Amino acid sequence: MGVQQDIREKGLLGAAAAAADNVFTRITAGIDAGEFRRMLQGDPPGRPNPRLKPHSEAFLLHIKPTYYHESVTRFNHTFRLGLLSTYLFIVETITGILLMIWYAPSPERAYTDMILLLTNIPFGQFLRDLHRLGAEAMVAIVTLHMVRAYLTGSYKPPRQFTWFTGVLLLVMTLFLSFSGYLLPWDQLAFWAVTIGTSMAEAVPPAVVGETVNLLARGAPDIGANGLLRFYLLHVLFLPLLLILFFFVHYYKVVHFGISLPADEEEVGEDTANRVPADKRVYYLPDVLTDEMSFMTVITTLLILITVFFFQAPLEHIANPQSTPLHTVAPWYFYWLQGMLKIADKFIAGVLLPGVLLALLMAIPYLDYNPSRRGKDRKVAIVAGIVAGTVMVILSWMGTPEYAVQGAPSVEIVQELMPEEGSGISREIGYTHLPLGIWRTDEEYDAHDHEFNELLHEFQATVDYYRRQDPDFNAPVGQLTITQDQPGLKKLHWEIFWYDAQGAEGSYKTSFWLHEDSIYWEQYGWKQSFLGYVSDGWKSLSGAFAGE
Amino acid sequence: MYRFFVTSPIAKLLWGILASLVGIIVLLLVLVSEDTRMAAQTVNWEGRSIENGATLFANNCTRCHGPNGQGLPGLGPALNSFYFFMEKGRLQDIGWVGSLEDYVSLTIAAGRPSKTNSPWAEVMPTWGSQFGGPLRGDQVEDLTAYVLNWREFALAQTAEEDPFQPFPDVNNAVEFQNAAFLLLSEEEQAIAREEFKARNIRSPQELWTSEVCSACHNINERQVDVRGQSGPNMADLYERAGSRVEGLTAEEYVYESIVDPTAFVVASYEAAGQMPENFAEKLSEDEIRGLVEWLLDPNREP
Ligand code: HEC
Ligand code: HEC
Ligand code: HEM
Ligand code: HEM
Repeated sequence: MGVQQDIREKGLLGAAAAAADNVFTRITAGIDAGEFRRMLQGDPPGRPNPRLKPHSEAFLLHIKPTYYHESVTRFNHTFRLGLLSTYLFIVETITGILLMIWYAPSPERAYTDMILLLTNIPFGQFLRDLHRLGAEAMVAIVTLHMVRAYLTGSYKPPRQFTWFTGVLLLVMTLFLSFSGYLLPWDQLAFWAVTIGTSMAEAVPPAVVGETVNLLARGAPDIGANGLLRFYLLHVLFLPLLLILFFFVHYYKVVHFGISLPADEEEVGEDTANRVPADKRVYYLPDVLTDEMSFMTVITTLLILITVFFFQAPLEHIANPQSTPLHTVAPWYFYWLQGMLKIADKFIAGVLLPGVLLALLMAIPYLDYNPSRRGKDRKVAIVAGIVAGTVMVILSWMGTPEYAVQGAPSVEIVQELMPEEGSGISREIGYTHLPLGIWRTDEEYDAHDHEFNELLHEFQATVDYYRRQDPDFNAPVGQLTITQDQPGLKKLHWEIFWYDAQGAEGSYKTSFWLHEDSIYWEQYGWKQSFLGYVSDGWKSLSGAFAGE
Repeated sequence: MYRFFVTSPIAKLLWGILASLVGIIVLLLVLVSEDTRMAAQTVNWEGRSIENGATLFANNCTRCHGPNGQGLPGLGPALNSFYFFMEKGRLQDIGWVGSLEDYVSLTIAAGRPSKTNSPWAEVMPTWGSQFGGPLRGDQVEDLTAYVLNWREFALAQTAEEDPFQPFPDVNNAVEFQNAAFLLLSEEEQAIAREEFKARNIRSPQELWTSEVCSACHNINERQVDVRGQSGPNMADLYERAGSRVEGLTAEEYVYESIVDPTAFVVASYEAAGQMPENFAEKLSEDEIRGLVEWLLDPNREP
């Protein structure tokens, strides 16, 4: 039909409107403007439902079910944790690909690239912080999603395999964060990953362990080869694998439908796919608006946390020659670190986690209880709570606070001015460290509130270890602050004590602090941000005023 | 109420729009703050580099260069000294045309492995791992940042505080390497140099090697056509000097050849600037006269 004939029939305006509607319908994959308006107004769909068209027309929508049971769309049923996991993975992929632009996986460059990212790339720090925050959040959310599926008994028939693929996804998520952890190539990364991979080495017989270790590290120790391997695992292999298994997982979810709240169906039945017409909530538009607004709010939340409360750490450059006093894994591996403190590498690092994983995967096949209702699942729920508590305790044991091994004198300095990270001395900063000699057996008023606090902390820590350790008697700490160079102060720490036999002991170490150095905590209010904004604003308004 | 504010589709849309607005505003704030943030981060990492350098210096270098970089007699020269940072100090004396930063980082990386005529107990070790030393490239950079950070202190030193130790590897006399000299004005420096020259007259034999005349001229071979490396033979100079330039005695001619080599250029040495033209500044009048007399003496002592 030619354009002219069209115009002759409908008039100029009418033809233009029809053409516009046509374009609109193509963009929405099957919904015309009138229907779109009715959707926005909340009118019910006509019959047959014209809003199903996009599900067969558009790729992204064909994965989504056309309608849900009203009960499973409630927030407090799934808490949208599965959606959130997917969303965080997308965030990670986007920020990760952007980070790849400035990152080269070689020991010579990785760390300097990180610094360049922080110092020379607009939004570089934001990207990195967001990627790191997203990674930690993803581990947490995926775990919570698993806990939700456990508590609602959603792993029971027919969803055993959904659960199984879920566990695989959890493992991949953990490996993703573990492999990403090495990439900044700082001391934190290097030693956490050295310890992590050394567990693989503990697998008996020795040939197997060594081979696995060699495969992971590319050499007996982590170096250029190991970094490259971890990088490829992190940006290519694991994400692709995760995407693949996500689709298996999600196919199963859609195939069986999301499980209904347990007491809405008979024990042993699964009616998720038999949704009565009056209980149907259509994806278009109801669930879509819901998910969109939810993800928008979450995005803003992530931005707010990244900008105001979260900073990815970056410590000294990786140094294979010097092991930091306390090497810490990321918090989601504290439980492993805790186990390593009480058992040897093979048992705590390979055997137990392996058994745990196998158990986790086998839960749907071991649990014969057909009921998903909480009151019928006392054993399962109690077991779950016990397992959770054990994890929390193990995690606590994994923190440096538990079973501190160092000598008291070393620990005291480590607490106030650690080798890696900030500690109170660096936090109060250059200007709050007056030159002089400060001893713990004397009282001073340094006329500086924050420094007084440091001295106080110094006394308290020395005293704490005096009470803890019989080999640490009458201890005295002394801090000497000198101006070593312009803008550079030297903090010389000395600890003197007597051991149980009455012999004198002493420990001395020095650290330096530069005027311009900024040390930060990973979690906490980012003080400097608002200052930067107001400075930036001033220079902007200056520029507009033509200065 | 709850339905109206949270669960109704309109409420959801509004929440979404509100959240996007907040998100965009925060991102705009980040945009505004980025320049300042990047500047602060830049100096932050420079500061940390200096801190790392301080630790490395304390662990590796204080043994020879002293705890404050002020040098130890016989072991290592002062780095935290006026002479080292002075614009016309160390770098000019050794003829380094690059920056002090390059000089320091290259010296640290490569060391000074040669020990010929060294007044120091040990050589400056090689540190850079690319030359077989124990430190990585980033550590050499940190050390360099630390050494250079002395600048302000070093230049503020008075003559009394100057941790001066002579550098024997430069043509300059000891007197011209310390803060007492370097702090003088240019005219005062010129006067001090003249006074010094007048006081310290070096023998012709010493000058012949220290001013490297010997690199270009032969002095002991008597054969006429034995040329030096790049200058005329001096062994038979006394026979020719008187007849080189009309109207000049042998003494006058040799004197002129040293002070103003271009005034007369010996045939077959025409390529420009082969003989250095700054001996008049470097040598005192007495020294030049001594050289002339020595060169023209048929029975001179080698
Ligand atoms: C074994 C003693 C020794 C140690 C250790 C040592 N140096 Fe040296 N350093 C020397 C000596 C000797 C010289 C002078 C070498 C010469 O001029 O031939 C020197 C020269 C230098 C120079 C050049 C000074 C100038 O004005 O030319 C720098 C810069 C320097 N050292 C830095 C360092 C640094 C940084 C370290 C620590 C990593 C270090 N040195 C460790 C002995 C040492
Ligand atoms: C870089 C090489 C070089 C150095 C160093 C050098 N000369 Fe020469 N000199 C030459 C050359 C080339 C000539 C010939 C060209 C000329 O006459 O200017 C020459 C010419 C002379 C002559 C004239 C010789 C003749 O046969 O007429 C004298 C005298 C002389 N040099 C003395 C000295 C003395 C004394 C020193 C050290 C203080 C010295 N030179 C250092 C390159 C050098
Ligand atoms: C990257 C990790 C994961 C992603 C992206 C993901 C995604 C999803 C999504 C989108 C759903 C739909 C329902 C919902 O939102 O809750 C879902 C359901 C489900 N997931 Fe996951 N999941 C992941 C990990 C896991 C893990 C670790 C487990 C358990 C070990 C798991 C077990 C399940 C089960 C059993 C269901 C069905 C729930 C039901 O029908 O009620 N998933 N998953
Ligand atoms: C396809 C997706 C991804 C890509 C392309 C990617 C890429 C990168 C790159 C280039 C880095 C180095 C930059 C840096 O350290 O700041 C990095 C770091 C990291 N990644 Fe990813 N990543 C992806 C997904 C993930 C996921 C899903 C997780 C976790 C669940 C994760 C966790 C981490 C961690 C913990 C770091 C270290 C962060 C830091 O110290 O800054 N990444 N990633």
